[in-house]
Amino acid sequence: MNLLAQYALTGVVTGCFLILATIGFSLTRQVEGFLNIAHAEMLGVSAFITWGLNAAAGWPFIPAAVVAIVATAFVGLFIGRVVYDPIRKLGPAVVLISSVGVALVIAGIMHAIIGTGIRTLDVPLATTYKFFGLRITNYQMIVVALAALTGISLALFLNRTKTGLAIRAMSTNPELAASRGIDVRQTSRATWLLSSGLAGLAGVMLALIATLSTDIAFHQILQILAVAILAGLGSLYSVIAAGLIVGIAMDVSVFWIPAGYRPLIAFAVVIIALLVRPEGLSMKRSS
Amino acid sequence: MNTLAQTALTIVMFGSLFSVLTLSLNLQYARGGMINFGTVAYFAAGAYAYAIVTQEPPHGLDQYLVGLDAPWWAGFIAAGIAAMAFAILTGWPTLRLRGEYLALTTFAFAEMLSSLLVNERRIGNGTVGLANVERPDANILGLSENIVYAGAAFLLMLATAYAFSRLLASPYGRAIDAVRDDEVAAQAIGKDIARLRFQVFVLSSIPIGFAGALYAMITTLVNPNLFSAEVTFFVWIALVLGGERTILGAVVGTMALVGFQEAIRAIPFESVRAAEIAASAEDIVTGILFIVILRWQPFAAFARRRQPA
Repeated sequence: MNLLAQYALTGVVTGCFLILATIGFSLTRQVEGFLNIAHAEMLGVSAFITWGLNAAAGWPFIPAAVVAIVATAFVGLFIGRVVYDPIRKLGPAVVLISSVGVALVIAGIMHAIIGTGIRTLDVPLATTYKFFGLRITNYQMIVVALAALTGISLALFLNRTKTGLAIRAMSTNPELAASRGIDVRQTSRATWLLSSGLAGLAGVMLALIATLSTDIAFHQILQILAVAILAGLGSLYSVIAAGLIVGIAMDVSVFWIPAGYRPLIAFAVVIIALLVRPEGLSMKRSS
Repeated sequence: MNTLAQTALTIVMFGSLFSVLTLSLNLQYARGGMINFGTVAYFAAGAYAYAIVTQEPPHGLDQYLVGLDAPWWAGFIAAGIAAMAFAILTGWPTLRLRGEYLALTTFAFAEMLSSLLVNERRIGNGTVGLANVERPDANILGLSENIVYAGAAFLLMLATAYAFSRLLASPYGRAIDAVRDDEVAAQAIGKDIARLRFQVFVLSSIPIGFAGALYAMITTLVNPNLFSAEVTFFVWIALVLGGERTILGAVVGTMALVGFQEAIRAIPFESVRAAEIAASAEDIVTGILFIVILRWQPFAAFARRRQPA
């Protein structure tokens, strides 16, 4: 029983990471209207900038992480402006396939610069704490705290600020938003910065809790897709529920079946959910 | 045989083989309006079915359970059936999903199959895979093996192209086009949309299974690494490269892409690091090619597809 609870707790941590990784992806889907396969590569970009500054150049962790997140946000903005903006009018399928091209380019560049092999950050080893017989490391707690903080601040941002409201308006009905005087281009830029910045944050967390290799991003996109489909492509809040469901399902499944099946579990949950609710948890129809 | 001819033969062999996949994808996407992001799964199903049917029963360190030791043609037929069965299994629950959801679910099914092949050692030895896959003796024809297999791949491609073009030129093909262009109108004149989509999906996966069997014969090895999502992306890139909706375009696109890859592989490298950089350069160039082609649309084919696919 205790072991099961331990797996569930690890699942919560995995879930929180998935929330961080998926929110940016879902935001792009809503505002820009396509599935950005390259989103996971942005996690990799951020993780390796952090690694480069921290382990290779000897910076302390926090400034390295901040620089990595900001840099990733601008890389995302740059890619959005140069690659995706001109082809948006061609429909979501074309943009989706283009984003595979972008993912290939980013992965190739990272591979060329960094090479194969496993990397770790230059940070103190994780300290383990015990609560009621359950173990959790300090880094895992940071992931959970940051996921909660991100969720709350994002909700405040989208509901209280002018840019946030503009983003929500754009995601609901771009034409109407434009005709009501919302600056579509500026809102789109803000979205790119925000979603890539969130990918950057998730990437830093990834660097903190996992060992890094250049193919790490590809494994993340599978789980991000799973969470995003489960959440339904129409809502941000359901991402939180979906992330936790997928994270806990994956980690608890290890209790009964071999760990190699973890990714399979993620998709099994998704496929079952889709058969019951073809539009995802949010029940909103995607446009 | 000199190296140039050797390379040309390899391009014809793999180009024809993957053209079969591109042609099937072309039927599913450009004609049927279905985005299948799990193409590799049907390919893998065919290859594994072929290997399992033709290999000897397990002995020694083998962990797989079934080896039927049947002749190659039985394996070849089994490959088509396996791909079809997998298409029925995956198509039945998912085809009512639209556009992106379908893309993601087919992708998910492909990943699930690959995860199953890695973890369930009783199917095909897990990550080790099945080596020394049986294949028909090419010497009977008195030609070198490469020529025979390149020829076989070329024939399979021609057969697939012929079958699909006949299918699409028939009234049935026009019904498929009607469903893609306007579902409501097609339904109004009595076409069963769900059934048509399902049929197209299943039919087009059969040649993919055959191609899988041929691939297993050529490489004499099947393992989960050979059937990663990269194959799916490769076929999609080839389809985009050739411009969709035409059979010739699909074939030319695939040949060009295979040729490009073989050209990069033909460059000799001094060190492991140089080879690594070249491999990344291949990814980068492929990616840029992809973005550029979609952006400037030399084939202008995508622009005609107004509805979100």
